[in-house]
Amino acid sequence: VNVARRLLDLLWLAGALVLAAGTAQAHPHVWITATSELIYAPDGAITGVRHAWTFDDMFSTYALQGIETKTKGVYSREELAPLAQTNVESLKEFKFFTFAKADGKKEKFEEPVDYFLEYKDAALTLHFTLPLKTPLKSKELALEVFDPEFFIDFKFADKDPVKLVGAPAACQMKFQRPNDGSANAQKLGEQTFLSGQNSNFGMMFANKITVECP
Amino acid sequence: MSVRPKSPSSFARGLAICATAAGAILIFDGAVHVLMAQTPFGGPRPSAEPQVGGIVGWLLARQSEFYREMSATIRAAKSDGSAVWTLLAISFAYGIFHAAGPGHGKAVISSYLVANQETARRGIVLSFASALMQSLVAVVIVAVCAWLLNATAKTMCGAEKAIEIVSYAMIAAFGARLVWTKGGGFIRALQAPRPALAMASAGHGHGHDHHHHHHDHDHHHDHHHDHDHGPGQHVHDEHGGHSHGPEPSELAGPGGWRRGFGAIFAVGMRPCSGAILVLVFALAQGLFWAGIAATFVMGLGTAITVATIAVIAVSAKDLARRLSAGTEGGGTLVMRGVEFGAAGLVLLFGVGLLFGYLAAERVTCL
Repeated sequence: VNVARRLLDLLWLAGALVLAAGTAQAHPHVWITATSELIYAPDGAITGVRHAWTFDDMFSTYALQGIETKTKGVYSREELAPLAQTNVESLKEFKFFTFAKADGKKEKFEEPVDYFLEYKDAALTLHFTLPLKTPLKSKELALEVFDPEFFIDFKFADKDPVKLVGAPAACQMKFQRPNDGSANAQKLGEQTFLSGQNSNFGMMFANKITVECP
Repeated sequence: MSVRPKSPSSFARGLAICATAAGAILIFDGAVHVLMAQTPFGGPRPSAEPQVGGIVGWLLARQSEFYREMSATIRAAKSDGSAVWTLLAISFAYGIFHAAGPGHGKAVISSYLVANQETARRGIVLSFASALMQSLVAVVIVAVCAWLLNATAKTMCGAEKAIEIVSYAMIAAFGARLVWTKGGGFIRALQAPRPALAMASAGHGHGHDHHHHHHDHDHHHDHHHDHDHGPGQHVHDEHGGHSHGPEPSELAGPGGWRRGFGAIFAVGMRPCSGAILVLVFALAQGLFWAGIAATFVMGLGTAITVATIAVIAVSAKDLARRLSAGTEGGGTLVMRGVEFGAAGLVLLFGVGLLFGYLAAERVTCL
């Protein structure tokens, strides 16, 4: 019986390995080119994040499937309104892929406002604003945009990826792309997969925005 | 109870086998890692891809590249028919790499094969059949929802999600049944004293023959079915193994083809999100047929990867059996244990997927 127990342990281990390896190999099906604006109130507190996410042409076409328009191939903001509604509702489940920390403490977002879709050059762009639950003045604000499951690949635009809107002049913004080499990619090697910490898998693909206001 | 002194040695041997296998994988991965560092495949890459090390990173990079090329190629095919060939080539390559990712039933099929004493040849047939079914389901969903009904992405996605849940539930049910069957064999192997153990294992196989005697009609039935299908023919004489005797490798698993098709159905009914995206895109470009062709070629690539992994799983088990065969009683115990464990894995996969503990590929609902 002792043998059997050890054998079972072994099988559990093998199973865990298989699962770990399987999850780790997720790869994106949707590509988003993003730009983000951090919105500040006149008193210098950050109130929220305004995103503009442009989907790749395959996903844009998929999302537009079945949507009736007056003119073929032309989609007005009104015609796209129901889809935008669906988008923000679905994104809620994924916490809008936006994770904020103020001075090391996690911050929550309210439901998105001012959302709409725009169709241009065969691509859909989703605009929406995520208000912070409580506007805050923090020394250091860290904002990460990524999909932990890496089904969506977030790439920030080459030009003006992140902007501060109305921030106090002393605030300094730093933006880190996931492939900078300085990002998490080097810390999380293959070992991470084998140790089963797959919850952090998508971290490697995180875009990191940090704002320091002295 | 004289098993005791001998079992540990067979267990130790089993442990050694596992350790060797794990070591081999790590070494292989390490080697690829080093190779990558020296000569990045395909020349110096622009830093657009996330830098993840080893096989995983390389696979990720390849898949993404192939997938992204597909939309451009489908667009090109509108004016230049020869681009369809490029599309098919890309789809094939994508299928091979993509299947290495989660989903596509690699794990479920492999575990099933190990649990149910299936042969490598049957593993290959099952892999191809399930990949074919996955492609078919994707084509049917898009043809019905998008082409016939002009439904929105939201509706289509809802259909996908529903199918997904049914598929996971079926995998879980299938796993539960395997656990039930295999658990009996394992417990008998555990409890039986050594001399009786050999008997028990013989009785096990024998019992199955008896038990499934009334299934024989089904077997024949399936056979006809197979003949129509083609690939089944390969395995025809293989199936004759039933009459060869109770040798475990010859014993086509209990339940035979009928249960094999159960596995295919459970795994294959869940389409790949990637295929659905490609199909809808091709449909919108007025090249639905090219999308369908691409989907089936992708399925062929997927089948090759899944079959490879399935064959590795079956071979590993055969190796374990050969190595543990020296000690008669212990060997049976080890093999029953492995089968039971593999059956448990199928159940775990099903339950894990169903309740979201395990993320397979997410269905695209944005």
